[in-house]
This record gives sequence, C-alpha cells and structure tokens, in this order.
Amino acid sequence: MPVRLLIVDDEDDVREFAASFFRKRKIEVVTASSGEEAVKIVVSQEPKIVLLDIKMDGIDGIETLKRIKELNKQIKVIMITGRDDEEAKQKTKDLGAYGYINKPLELDELEKMVMKLLEK
Amino acid sequence: MNTYSIFSFIAVILCIILSFWVVIKRRSPFSISFSRVCFLIGIWTAFPFVNSITKTDAEALVFTRLLYLAASFVPYFFFRFMFIVMEITSDPNIKRFSLFSLAFAIFFFVSCNSPLFIKGVVKYAPYFTVVPGPLYLLFAIYFGLSYGYATPKLLKIYSGSKSHRRNQLKYIIIAFFLAFMAGTMHFLAAYRIPEIFPHDILVITFTLIFAYAIVRYRLLDITIALTRASIFVIVYTLVLGIPFALAGFLGEWLSIHIGQNWWMAPLVLMAILATTGPFLYIYLQRKAEDRLLKEQKRYQDTLKKASLGMTRIRDLNKLIKLIVHVVAKSVRLNFASIYILDNDDVLYRLGAEKNKSNALVSEISSTSSLINWLTKNKDALVFEEIKRQMHDHTTEELEDLRSQMLSIDASVVIPSFIGDRLLAFMVLGEKRSGEIYSQDDLSVFTVLANQAALAIENARFFEEAKEMQEQIAQAEKMATIGTMADGLSHQINNRFHALSMITGDTMDTIHLVDMSTYTPEQKELITQIRHSLERIQANVVQGGEVVKGMLKYTRKGDAGLMAITLDKVLDATLEMVQYKIKLSMIDIVRDYPKDIASVVGNLTQLQEVFFNLIDNAYDAMMERKDTLKEEGYRGRIRIYTENVNSGFLTIHLEDNGIGVKLEDFKKLFTPFFTTKVSSRRGTGLGLYVIKKIIASNHGGTINVSSTYKQGTRFTIELPMHN
Repeated sequence: MPVRLLIVDDEDDVREFAASFFRKRKIEVVTASSGEEAVKIVVSQEPKIVLLDIKMDGIDGIETLKRIKELNKQIKVIMITGRDDEEAKQKTKDLGAYGYINKPLELDELEKMVMKLLEK
Repeated sequence: MNTYSIFSFIAVILCIILSFWVVIKRRSPFSISFSRVCFLIGIWTAFPFVNSITKTDAEALVFTRLLYLAASFVPYFFFRFMFIVMEITSDPNIKRFSLFSLAFAIFFFVSCNSPLFIKGVVKYAPYFTVVPGPLYLLFAIYFGLSYGYATPKLLKIYSGSKSHRRNQLKYIIIAFFLAFMAGTMHFLAAYRIPEIFPHDILVITFTLIFAYAIVRYRLLDITIALTRASIFVIVYTLVLGIPFALAGFLGEWLSIHIGQNWWMAPLVLMAILATTGPFLYIYLQRKAEDRLLKEQKRYQDTLKKASLGMTRIRDLNKLIKLIVHVVAKSVRLNFASIYILDNDDVLYRLGAEKNKSNALVSEISSTSSLINWLTKNKDALVFEEIKRQMHDHTTEELEDLRSQMLSIDASVVIPSFIGDRLLAFMVLGEKRSGEIYSQDDLSVFTVLANQAALAIENARFFEEAKEMQEQIAQAEKMATIGTMADGLSHQINNRFHALSMITGDTMDTIHLVDMSTYTPEQKELITQIRHSLERIQANVVQGGEVVKGMLKYTRKGDAGLMAITLDKVLDATLEMVQYKIKLSMIDIVRDYPKDIASVVGNLTQLQEVFFNLIDNAYDAMMERKDTLKEEGYRGRIRIYTENVNSGFLTIHLEDNGIGVKLEDFKKLFTPFFTTKVSSRRGTGLGLYVIKKIIASNHGGTINVSSTYKQGTRFTIELPMHN
C-alpha cells in the first residue's frame, strides 16, 4: 500500500505543486485547504504523514494538530510555519509534532525530511 | 527796560541754566569746559540788562567792569573748549598758545578796573554800549583772534569727519559762530556801529542749539534744532515784542484814547499773545518738521506698515530676511542684519543680513556684555553713545560693548523682546546719507523690533508645530507600518512559499525528465529554463530572509524575563558579533566589578541590544580611523556600571568613535534614520528597536550623549534582580 501524504494549506498553488512534487515520488497525496477538511481526511483516509501549515483561516495549524493527534497518535505531522516562533515551536512539539519547517521552504529540504520519515 | 534788556535777561538765565545743566547731566572734561564758557558768556551777556536797571552812570560803570571780569576769560575758555572738542589738547603748540591766551585773560582781568580798558557806559538808545579805552580794542582783537585761530582748525576736522561726529561738530560750529557774532556786534556797538537788533538773540539761539546739541545731540538733527530754535525766537519775539512796541511807540496815543490805564492794553495783548504763543510755536514747528522730516516720515511709515505685515509670514528664514531687507532698503542703510536666539538659548546666531558687512562674528553668546546690556536696559544701543560715554570714563563694560559692537559692525543695536526674553536683535549699520539716528528713528525701530519679535515667535511656533506634526505623522506611520508589517510579512512570506513550491516542483519535474531523446536545441532550452528557475529560487530564499528580518523587529517580547548577569549578555553578544566585526581591531574593556548584581532581562533581546551597540560603535570607530586619520588611534569600547538609581543597574557603553553630529543627534532613535552609507548597510532600525527592547520590554531607559569627533556614550538602565 502506497504511503499516503496529506498536505494541508490554504494556498492552492502550494497544494498543487507540493502534491505534484511528491506524486512524482510515488507517494499518494491528498490535499486539504483547511484544518476542518484535514481532520475529515485524517478520519476517512488515515494518511501516514501530514504537512500542516500553522497559519490558516478557520481552525489554525496548532488546533488541527491537536485534533489529528487526538484521532491518531501514529500520524507524523510536519509543521510548516511562517516565522521563527519559539513559542509555537515549543507548543507544537509538546503536542507531538514530528518536525518544524520554516516558510518559504525549499522542496529539497522537505523531501529529505519526508524521505527520512519513510525510511523508518 | 526795553527789548534789548529783556533779551539780555533771557540770555543770562538760559546761559546759566545751561552751564549748570550740562555738568549736572554729565561730568566730563567736555561738559565742564563747556559749562565754564557758557557761564562766563552768561555773565558777559548780562551787560544790557544790568545797565538798564542801574540808576546812575557811575553805578553802571562799576557793574560793567564787574561783568568784564568774567568776559576777559571768555576767549581763553572758549579756546580751551575748542581743543577739547577737537581732541588735540596734548599738542605742545596748543598748550603754548593756551598759556599765552591765559596770560592775556589775566591781563584783561587785572585791567578791568582801569579806564584804559573801559572808560564808561553810554546809553546809545535803545541799547547801551561801552565807551572803549585803548585796551578795549586789544581785547576785541584778542577775542577775534581766539575765534579765528580755533575755528579754521575745527572746520578742517569737520570736513574730514564722518556721520555722527560730523553732526556733532556742525552744532558746535554753528552755535559758536552765533556767539561770536553776538560778541562782534557788542564790540562794534562800542565803536558806534549800531546794533540793529539785540545781539542777545544770538546768544539765546546759541544756548538753545547747545541745549540740544550737547546734551541731546543724538536726538535731533541740526536742521531741526535750528528750525525749532528759530521758530521759538521768532514766536517769542512777537509775543514779547509786539506789546512792548505797542507800549513804546503808541503809549502816548493810547493814554490819550484810553486814559490812565492805557498800559492795560499792551498787557492784555501780551496775555493773549502769550497764550497763543505755545500753540503757534507748536503749529509752526510741526509744519516745519513735516517738511524737513519728509524723508524720515516716509520710511517710518514704510516700516510701520512692514511691521504689521510681518506676523503673517510663517517661514522664519523668509521673515528675517524680509525684516533686514525692509529696514536696510527703506532707511537706506549701508548694512543691516539680525541675530536670533538659538533653540538652546545659548547663542544668538546671525540669521540674515542685507548687504555685505564687516562683521567678524556670526554668533554672540547670551552671556556676553552686549546681551546683558540689552536685557538690562531694554533699549536701543547706539555705538556713538558708547563712544561718548567712554570719552568721559572708560570702564571694562563699555570697552567690551564697544568691541562687541565693532565685531558685528553695528551703529545701532535694536533688541526684540517677548516679555523679558530677548528673542533677537537687529543690527543697523550707518545710514548712507551719513545722518545720525534720531530718537524718532530709534522709537520706530523699537516698535518694528518688537513686532518682529512677535512675528519671529509666531514663525518659530508655527515651524515647531509643523515639525511636531510631521513627527507625529511619522510616528503614526511607523506604528501603522509596525502593525501592518506583521500581517504583511506573512502575506509576502506565503507568496514566497508558493513561489518556492512552484519553482521547486518545476525544477524537480525537469530534473526527472529523460533528455536522452532530445535534440541539442531542446536540451539547451531545458538548461536555460532550469537556470532561470534556480535564480527564481535563490531570489525567493533571499526575499524570505528579508521578511524574517522584518518579523524580528515587529516581534513582541516572546519570552519571559529572568535574572541574568551582564557578563553572560556580553559573552553571548561577543560570540555573535565576532562574525560581523574584527574584534582584533579594537579593545573592548569590561570595567565593572565581577560580583555585580544581575539584571532582569531577556538574554536574546539584550544580546541584540549589545550586538547593535557594539556593531554601531565599531562602525563609528572605523569611520573615525578612516576620516580623521589620527596617529596611533585605536578603537576602544569601555563598558562600566553605576548604581545611581535604586533598583536599577546603570550600564554605560562608551566608544571613542567618530561621534554623532549635532544635527543628527535628535534623530538617533528615529526609525529608518541612518548615517551609515548604503554600501555599509544599516536599516536605520537598530537604535529604534533597541529603545523598544529596553523601554517597552524591560522597563528600563536608554540615553545617549555624544561629541562629534570624540565619541559616544550610551547609558542603559535596567531593573536589577532583587
């Protein structure tokens, strides 16, 4: 069964291109444009990895992380954030986030992190 | 009693009053000398009056001889006075001549009682004359020679003199000419040449001119003095003369027609004339002066009008330029300038000048004697006045005033006050016409100057308000940008993020393409696209860094404060700063005790504070090194502490860099203000952020003092732990 990766971002472009990038690597990608949608997908499709933007309209990344972790502790969540925010970093770490990447990210960097996860 | 004796009486009174007045008013060699001449002339001139009241010829002779005791010294003292006026008393020739003259005076003095000098007195109706002895002619010649010797010298000095002094001499020459004429008429009468009008009218005029000239010469122009004196004499000749003429020539006719009380008619007439006299005098004087002072009135009107318009000008520079321009042009001055109190109340700075001056200084200290004088006297300061006072007695203060006025090339200094505060002063050069400043001029200038003070205050206030408004607007803008920056930077960051995704994925796609079947052209195209994408990616990364920097400045205190030692802060700072500056180029001295109290602070933030301060200091020291090129110069930062304010630790960070220019000083903490040239970076946010960190986040203070070309010292107060 192919690995399922969920990309959560309210930016269409980000979703489209990030998804395209990982699909080329034989990874099944699903996308969500909001925290609510992400939670539904987590329930219905059980992705292994989630790329989660912290700052979104509606419920934000931290809240989404919390709900995902409540649903399934096994899911690895990589937080994507706009700023070097120690407080948020700490909070997401406490909530069980796997990693933390600053915007604007370079895909190579993300790839490395995802591949590392997959090797496990 | 007749008009001759009445004028004599008036002349005596005026001479004596004047002679006392000048010495009471001012005791100087000049005034004492004049007082003597005037007093002696006064006694001599009593001749017609004294004779008119004596009963017998013998009695008249005795009195006349007594009067001549005084008269015999008139030429000598006149002579002395002249040389004081000409300031040539120390000339040995003059001294010799003086002694010679004194000998003559004594000789005539001794001879007064002898018939060789004065044989008798006769009434040569309607006036009296001396019956001359042989010596009398000699005395007349002595009198004439004294005048004849001194006057050409005085005229010569007069022709070489300038403006004010020229006017002074003009008075003296004219007045003494009149006195000389009076004496001549008196002598001629003794040799049967009729005295066609009372010669004492000339003596009266002499006193009146001098009354103006000596004591108040700066107040009136000579033409005015003369006009006033003439009008006075004419009016009062009529007032007094008509009734007497009436009594003298028509007395008989009146007594026939009116009877015993005929004398009432001239008396009533005299009363009427005496009442109308002053009005007539004032009327004529005003008419005459309107004509004479037409020019003066013209510019006084211009100035008055200008002074009203001044308060409407809000640009300070424009205003003061206009003031000097209007004054210099309308009064036709060779030069005018204005000095304005600086913002820090320490200096009066040259604000504007019209025409080139010989001024040596453009700044006058507010503690200088000139400013002291103006503040104390609140009056116009006239250079000639100072010179005259120095003539009497020189004091250090006068000497100071004189040299200061010279240094700003001032003939007159007019202060501008707001309340007790001397806001500015106007410096006027000489009038092109060489005329003196009249009292009227000075009062018009004073009005103008006070109006100017209001206008200056007004303009200043307006400028300050404008500046403040600009600052407030700027601060508001900054605050808005600050709050906007947070949201904005996220938005921008998201765009970069998306861009990064797009380029990253596209590059990845290209990377994965199998190009083995491609033509070389296609391969070349792909390579070009890939290169472009790499550039886009690189720019995105760089843009991301910029945004990160921006976010750092808008970040609120994101972590708590804790006890922290200064050493720890500095260690952390130096660790960071060594990547940016060459620590080996400078000395950093920690000049405080090891056991110093901890402060309550945030390490990261304080690290940023000291990072910026040391970085700035380094730049300042390098700039000093590059620009001043001093031998053996080495940058040095000294950090030392104090316990001034209880509960706070005072930390000084002192460098010996280039320092801050005065004009930049106020703007130090203003955001986006930077003196660093663009090539050497500097966002202008460093100190702004530092201040925010210290004041808002730590509840401390930060201050700075700096001297350009010497160094800068920052003083930070941070709350101490416990």
